[in-house]
Amino acid sequence: MAESGINGEHVVAPTAASDDVLRVEHISKRFGPVTALRDINMHLRKGEVLGLLGDNGAGKSTLIKTICGFQKADSGQMFLHGQPYEPHSVDHARKLGIDTVYQDLALVDELSVFHNMFLRREKVKKPLPFLSNRAMRSEAREALDDIGVRIPRLNVPVARLSGGQRQAIAVARTVHSEASILLLDEPLAAMGAKEGALILDLIQRLKEEGRVSMIMVLHNYVHVLTACDRVNLIQDGVIALDKPTSETSVEELTEIVVEEYRRARQAARAAGG
Amino acid sequence: MAVETGSQRPPGETANEGPAASRTLASGAWTLLKRFLTLREGSVIVITVLTIVYFSATVDNFATSANFKTLLPYFAPVAILAAGEVYLMINGEIDLSIGAVYLFAPFIFYKINNGGVPLIAALILALMCCMAVGLINGVFTAVVGINSFIATLGMLLSLEGLTLIISHAQPVDTPGTNVVGGLTTFARTFGGGTYSELIWALVVVAVLQVVLTLTRWGVYTVAVGGNRLGAAEAGIKVRLVIIRNFMLCSTCAALVGVLEAVRTSSVQPDPAGANEVLFDGISAAVIGGTLLAGGSGTVVGALIGALFLGVLRDGLIIKGVNADYLSFYLGLAIIIAMAANTYVGRVRKGSGVG
Repeated sequence: MAESGINGEHVVAPTAASDDVLRVEHISKRFGPVTALRDINMHLRKGEVLGLLGDNGAGKSTLIKTICGFQKADSGQMFLHGQPYEPHSVDHARKLGIDTVYQDLALVDELSVFHNMFLRREKVKKPLPFLSNRAMRSEAREALDDIGVRIPRLNVPVARLSGGQRQAIAVARTVHSEASILLLDEPLAAMGAKEGALILDLIQRLKEEGRVSMIMVLHNYVHVLTACDRVNLIQDGVIALDKPTSETSVEELTEIVVEEYRRARQAARAAGG
Repeated sequence: MAVETGSQRPPGETANEGPAASRTLASGAWTLLKRFLTLREGSVIVITVLTIVYFSATVDNFATSANFKTLLPYFAPVAILAAGEVYLMINGEIDLSIGAVYLFAPFIFYKINNGGVPLIAALILALMCCMAVGLINGVFTAVVGINSFIATLGMLLSLEGLTLIISHAQPVDTPGTNVVGGLTTFARTFGGGTYSELIWALVVVAVLQVVLTLTRWGVYTVAVGGNRLGAAEAGIKVRLVIIRNFMLCSTCAALVGVLEAVRTSSVQPDPAGANEVLFDGISAAVIGGTLLAGGSGTVVGALIGALFLGVLRDGLIIKGVNADYLSFYLGLAIIIAMAANTYVGRVRKGSGVG
């Protein structure tokens, strides 16, 4: 599955399955002098939970933001349900059924819980487009109850809430949308064990329903092995490993990362003379 | 409130209930007071009421209907200017060109009307020209990426210069006002009538407050000011929101410029006066509880901030305060009001009162 690239590093070539909902081929992205993504090849099957692992700066968030329409790739192509997919905005991607939980959560501290839950998806009345706050509040309440997160008052600004509660709101907002592909960039980052378990339960439930497919950026190998069907490891702007979670282990994943550090150290030493 | 003294207190267990009851009452009143004070507009309302009480008590002819009419032009135009500025300040931007637009609008109105366009159409065209000024401000800020302080400072200077050029630095009579034998309907509606400016101010403030709290425009304005990256990630078109608010702000300033020109029935090419208008507008917004940092603000607060500035200026003038002291006192008052707002803001954050 993995091919050998230059310097003995592993680069996964484009792969495909018959039931792919999303395919990413040869995607690259630079920010000025920094190359964030070199050559990303990745696919997501229907109903699958794909775990994305990688070091800080490996390009995980850049990849997520490229798929979700927040930024454009420099080269490469993407396919959504077999059709060429070139999102020109977050709205566009959302219309096509892709929604995102960002690493920074994209919450507005000054806005209430339910305004945040419906940010850019506000419910408005007719004929005058006033916000239907009551409808949004009750629907937000349902969505949060569904996950099991306790947030007593929904009209307080989210600035007042704990990190875990904020994260739950961001996850609930995306899960509650009509999207068929969810991108979750570290959905468990700010959470304690209890709240994290709620979110993992939710993901398990979604997986059983089979309606949505997910790409999840995670840091914790145990979470990856329990919650995901397959794992992709991103290193230095390329996917270096692509395996079903049933065929890998914490030890293997750790070994690959240790190997990367060893290589990087050698490269640094060689460069230093 | 029933506060019992020791001698009247009956013996036994009720002796403990008395103070307890009054304590809950007192704490209830305190909670209520705290709730009011932590309202975004709470502190500016208190300060304004205190100022009015002070002047009513110390100046003989302050609390009269004649003086109320004198007060109106000090306050109503500033309220409209501040209302537009509040939107930008919530965005985390600022528009320094409102004074220049205020100066420019009546001249362009005069020019268009002189070209043979009827009054109302000329007014609408003039407002649209000024809306275009806002568009330029917005494009330079949101698209080109110039800091709005600098972009609108440039606009302030160039537009004041342009006004002097097209007017040859000569005042002109405001169109529609130089009619012998009473005010025309046009003049009465657009600033000439005694309460015309007040009504405009109340309508503009009411509409903009409703838009701010009850529509997507308002929510997006807060979102862009509170978390610009997050707003963009959520799919909000950040640039559009900012440009739209610059256009709104310029249009408000243009409306005030025309209203004032009609009220005084002449158009004065006076950049110094225009700059004072700018300071008043921003001061009113800030005193009203809108943060320069963005993310929060209130249009109603700006209206009360404008009222506070108007009352203070009017009261000091009637009191016979030397003109040299006027700015000094105004400046002090603004700083004190701001300090109160900041303190209250901190209390609000801590108290959990929305």
